[in-house]
Amino acid sequence: MTPALRDVYISGVGEFLPGPAIENADIETYIGRVGGRRSVFGPRALRWNGVQRRHYAFNADGEALHSNASMSAEAVRAALRDARLEAAETGYLAAATTQGDLLVPGHAAQVQAELGHGPMEIASFQSVCGSALMAAKAAYLNVRAHEHDVAVACAGEFSSRWFRPQFYEGADLVDAKGRLRPEADFLRFTLSDGAGAVVMEPRPSGDGPSLKVSWIEIVSLADQFAPCMMAGAPLGRPSEVWGLAGPVAAHAAGGIALLQDFAALKRIIRAWIGVYLQRVESGRILPEQVDHLLCHYSARSIREEIITLLRSTGGMIPEERWFSVLSEVGNVGSASIWVMLNRFLRSGRARRGDKVLCIVPESGRALVGFMMLEVA
Amino acid sequence: MPAVDHGAEAVLRRLAIVFTAFERALDATPVIRRLNGGRFELAHYQAFLRAHRQQVKEGALWIARAASNVSVDHLELRSTLLRHAVAEHRDFRLLEADYLATGGAVEDIRSAPMTVGSEALSAWMFHEASKPDPFGLLGAMWIIEGLGSFKAAEWGRSVAARLGLPPEAVRFLSYHGENDAAHIEEFREMLAMVLPDPVVADRIVRTAEVTARLYVLQIEDVLS
Repeated sequence: MTPALRDVYISGVGEFLPGPAIENADIETYIGRVGGRRSVFGPRALRWNGVQRRHYAFNADGEALHSNASMSAEAVRAALRDARLEAAETGYLAAATTQGDLLVPGHAAQVQAELGHGPMEIASFQSVCGSALMAAKAAYLNVRAHEHDVAVACAGEFSSRWFRPQFYEGADLVDAKGRLRPEADFLRFTLSDGAGAVVMEPRPSGDGPSLKVSWIEIVSLADQFAPCMMAGAPLGRPSEVWGLAGPVAAHAAGGIALLQDFAALKRIIRAWIGVYLQRVESGRILPEQVDHLLCHYSARSIREEIITLLRSTGGMIPEERWFSVLSEVGNVGSASIWVMLNRFLRSGRARRGDKVLCIVPESGRALVGFMMLEVA
Repeated sequence: MPAVDHGAEAVLRRLAIVFTAFERALDATPVIRRLNGGRFELAHYQAFLRAHRQQVKEGALWIARAASNVSVDHLELRSTLLRHAVAEHRDFRLLEADYLATGGAVEDIRSAPMTVGSEALSAWMFHEASKPDPFGLLGAMWIIEGLGSFKAAEWGRSVAARLGLPPEAVRFLSYHGENDAAHIEEFREMLAMVLPDPVVADRIVRTAEVTARLYVLQIEDVLS
């Protein structure tokens, strides 16, 4: 007889943020100055995204202190410690990232190697912020379906590596006055480095709050939208993939750097809200019953647009129930939701029975993920 | 399931969902697919203007007819509809001016036949507008005005950028401006004039769905 599906709990959460917290004024000391000049657009990007401090895996001399995999492994160790488990007890590792240390092989292999504790099942999830929930869903289902008793989902980013001046200089992204295009510069002043992880088990941890995973749902609208945050082709010309002309030509065309298409963002936000409101309408998400909202919005201005629409449609979760650490730890891409969850649990706000809704929109190609948790 | 709610917020939520599906369907039409990333040429924009001119010319008229069928119990709504009709009844002239600015001949846009989609949309709107207290048409307004506040300026910028056109060639799409928050709030107030009422609530949502479907048909027909 097939055993019944099991309930799944997040029994441990961990994070790893490299180095000291870096203030806004010092960003370019770490990520460098394109063409040796101060960014003109940077201050505007910072007003827009509301980030005040972040962490970089480089020191001020440009030396890498960590790799994406080593940060991810640190976060996994922290989550396992939080769950009071030995690393060797992990049966399944799902690793998420936007861009791994290597183009090949996958991120999970790199993280497993860093962890260094024997054979295990792994899975790599490459997307943008939403990859965190893709990995979480895989870990959740593996435990739920009795495939593994301890599954770990981690997410890590070493974004600043891609923000070094050499990624832009000599590319069709710098104008005659030496200014980097906003589509490229915005992300330099928005994203930063770090990792987060959760441990999933079929039971709550003995001590400390655990979170029962009620459901995880990811909706991609990629068939409706062109890439909105991308690397690998010039913006607006996604068919010019970099492999066709080789990496040198691709760099010159502005096809290697990480880029954000602002114009498409507004349309995508409406589509995300549509997906959310459908869940409100169907009764899957009841805003008045959500005690805490952890929403990974990547810019303050995005949050404000979302609020306006939600208020008038009865979809709003009151602002005092929103929990965010964006301004203090920066936007760590896929790792953000785990860093946020970690700090939320340590904030003392979680009470047994509270419902915690995590929302991870990903502009990449218009995806949004939801995870409903209940404090056990 | 949430308690059944027929107030303005709940209806606005359902309308927002309809609008999302509407945007998705619009993005899949040939002319918008071209605009968003395919090959988009002046002839495509001119076809868009020709199809719209006939549509928009009728638009203010059905609002006026709807207003004349609103009973004395809802004078405030009648006033609002009349103001909308006044504001919009000359809009088709703007489309003609845009067409001229793209190098088109005014007699061409004036004599262009209505598309099949346009015929269907207009017939449906006048049919609904001819009913007593045609509150369902608020759903139609949500779709058509939503296009104005959410999509038109976006399309206008995109058309101008793709074709290198001057501002005077995209005035119809651009002049609506983008005032999403104000638009939603104003619309919520209009809904509150006739809600809560379960029958009216369902009719508004249904009318929005049908209008959206027929509008998509009209946009599909732009290049046919």
